[in-house]
Amino acid sequence: MRRALLAITGLAASTTAMVVLKSGPGASQVAQELPAAGQPVAPAPDGPAPTDGGAGPEASPSGAASPRPRRSATRAPATRPTAGATSGARLPSAPRTSSAPARPTTRTVTGPVVENEYGNVQVRITLSGSRIVDAVALELPEETAQSDQRSQQVDDRYSGTSGLVVQQQGADLDTVSGATATSTSYRQSLQAAIDRAN
Amino acid sequence: MGTAISLDLADDLPRAELDELADEVFRWLREVDARFSTYRADSEVCRFDRGELLLSEASADLRLVLERCADLWGATDGFFDGYATGGLDPSGYVKGWAAQVASDRLLAAGSTNHCLNAGGDVRVRGLSASGRPWRVGVRHPWDPMATCLVLTGSDLAVATSGGYERGHHVLDPRRGTPARGLRSVTVVGTDLGLADAYATAAVAMGAAGPAWLDRLTDHHHAIVTDDGRLLHSTDLPLA
Repeated sequence: MRRALLAITGLAASTTAMVVLKSGPGASQVAQELPAAGQPVAPAPDGPAPTDGGAGPEASPSGAASPRPRRSATRAPATRPTAGATSGARLPSAPRTSSAPARPTTRTVTGPVVENEYGNVQVRITLSGSRIVDAVALELPEETAQSDQRSQQVDDRYSGTSGLVVQQQGADLDTVSGATATSTSYRQSLQAAIDRAN
Repeated sequence: MGTAISLDLADDLPRAELDELADEVFRWLREVDARFSTYRADSEVCRFDRGELLLSEASADLRLVLERCADLWGATDGFFDGYATGGLDPSGYVKGWAAQVASDRLLAAGSTNHCLNAGGDVRVRGLSASGRPWRVGVRHPWDPMATCLVLTGSDLAVATSGGYERGHHVLDPRRGTPARGLRSVTVVGTDLGLADAYATAAVAMGAAGPAWLDRLTDHHHAIVTDDGRLLHSTDLPLA
């Protein structure tokens, strides 16, 4: 049993949609969690039909409740509680969930590779009409989840500017702040150069 | 101690008068070094630490510094600790305090435009010789020949603490190990002793430092994290 959990944030209306998709040869079920005004994501992958028409269990927002027993109940409960997995954006490519007649056009958009100090991040999304139905991280550094958490801990309690990557800047200085506690570090410092120029 | 002091007097005063002002600054800072250096066995701080000197026998300056260090210990949840290294070492306050006193004395003696840099702790007043507010760079934590920010103002105390100086690690006084998380912290205010102590305390706090700095009133800050992010107050006086 595999469960892929997908978090999409920052859509046009700032809705957050969390979609739990499960794919496997033996069972298929689709759970949906839509805390805000988000639209349901199209359910029902191909294959054995879910017992109740694809609507899935009425998952609570926390996801703490275990799924209702189903046809393939021998394989329940889920290996991982939903709540514990909400920070994991790493996905195996989940089956695209499209169905129904008169389906809107589906297209795939691949984002740019974004670099940070832990590695590269690249995401591909699949849209059905104007709705994101799938998102796959094509590239994700190992440390991402942890560093996200760490950054979040700092940023959550902080009202200043944050998140800039430190750069070199500045010219035409009168002095420089920053420890030059020893004469060696002073000689090797920009401050020494400024003092020599004066 | 080998700490480098730079003094820039920008007042339009006779040369002899400027020389006298500068001499007075360096005389004071040498006096502070002799009294507070932890590298000199005969300094007042070392004698007091060894118990050879009672508090009641100590100079007014030493008693003032000890009192301020105790206040700062309380104000920083114990992260500014004059005893972090085991023995008494108030250097984290003394350097900024001594430069602040020097600048205050310059002002009282008629120098309204000057820039004093004591080992990276900076106090500026008035305007530079070019007639504009002083421009103070903040050292880039991975490159001593570069800066990562430029501040400007005519009444600023700017202190930067960091873990990048060899042999100058800021200790987490609760663990006794070098603090992790913040590579460099710059605090901007009007009292250089406070700014220096707050910067050192924030480095010692590590990940909790940014939120703590954010709650300080009347001070601005800039932080470079170990992973190379720059955080700063929205109202930092950037050039």
